[in-house]
Amino acid sequence: MVDSPDPASLSGLIQRARHGDPLALHDLLDAVTPMVRGWCGPIALEDAPDAVQETLIVVLKHLADVREPAAFAGWLRTVAVREAVRIANRAARAIPSELPDLPAPGDPSLAADVDDVLRRLSPEHRAILMLRDRDGFTEDEASATLGIPIGTVRSRLFRARRAFGSAWLGRPARREAQASREAQASREAQAGRDPQASPDSPGGHR
Amino acid sequence: MTWPIADFDEIRRLRVLHAAMPGTLIAETRLRMPFAQVWEALDDIGTAFPELLPDVRRIDADTRTGERFTAHILGRSGLRGRFEIVMRPGWCVMQSRLLTFAMAAVPDGEHTRFGYLTGIRIRGSHRFGGLLRPLHGVLGRRTIRRFERRFGAA
Repeated sequence: MVDSPDPASLSGLIQRARHGDPLALHDLLDAVTPMVRGWCGPIALEDAPDAVQETLIVVLKHLADVREPAAFAGWLRTVAVREAVRIANRAARAIPSELPDLPAPGDPSLAADVDDVLRRLSPEHRAILMLRDRDGFTEDEASATLGIPIGTVRSRLFRARRAFGSAWLGRPARREAQASREAQASREAQAGRDPQASPDSPGGHR
Repeated sequence: MTWPIADFDEIRRLRVLHAAMPGTLIAETRLRMPFAQVWEALDDIGTAFPELLPDVRRIDADTRTGERFTAHILGRSGLRGRFEIVMRPGWCVMQSRLLTFAMAAVPDGEHTRFGYLTGIRIRGSHRFGGLLRPLHGVLGRRTIRRFERRFGAA
């Protein structure tokens, strides 16, 4: 869960920053950047720095449109999540996976680093997993943040969890394949360094 | 479960500030010297600023406690101004009643990526900011060259 700054202090900052006060903009960036990094990271992955930058630009350029400072944090989150999905899709690095099974909640394997597994999901699936399973949002809140109907939230979450579980369970096989590739590369490199081991070298055949 | 956190460096932060302040000038370069040396020099504002910034003849900072302080700048044109300053490693923002100035630096291997921003704080300046853009290019390159002469261009 990403902690929000105190709404009262945010309100004062927004008032000063919307008039282009550079130090107020600096303070506002200090206040909101950690939240935006937390929202964009899991969705945009390698492209998250671009997503954070674009989100902050959109937000600071539209401060004048913030009528109700109490709603600022929600609006910020909506912009961040949508920008992260947009930029991740633009980069087209997603490796969507649609496979069966899901690890049970509390499964100790979930405590491990999930970067590799998240990379195998679409940005939309990463977004719904983050909002529902990390941040504990209701279906209504996730629907409003992503701008999709509640029925789509439910079906997308179902597919996202299934894809996450399958990608997670597929990790041992991928690790084995990776180890095999590395061993092969190592053997080839060794053969290249050791003429005795090369069948094409003068001393390779006896 | 460890969820990824996005990286976000000070150069990107400077670009955001530039986008939020229409009419400001921004310029970036890559300096040959490492970040620690570059920032150690810039942190000595009494020496570095008159050497590197246009129209700064002398700067007298009030006592620095923490990252916020004020300073009085005497310009080469004779103008004086009181600036509020935030300065921490890799990041500096200064504002007076009329001017804004900021710079950012991040390590880039053995070198340093550096960014510089400046602008006039006049109501409505965003409206004529576009007219000044060709001038910004010249001023930006000229200022950046000062930093490249001091710290080397990578």
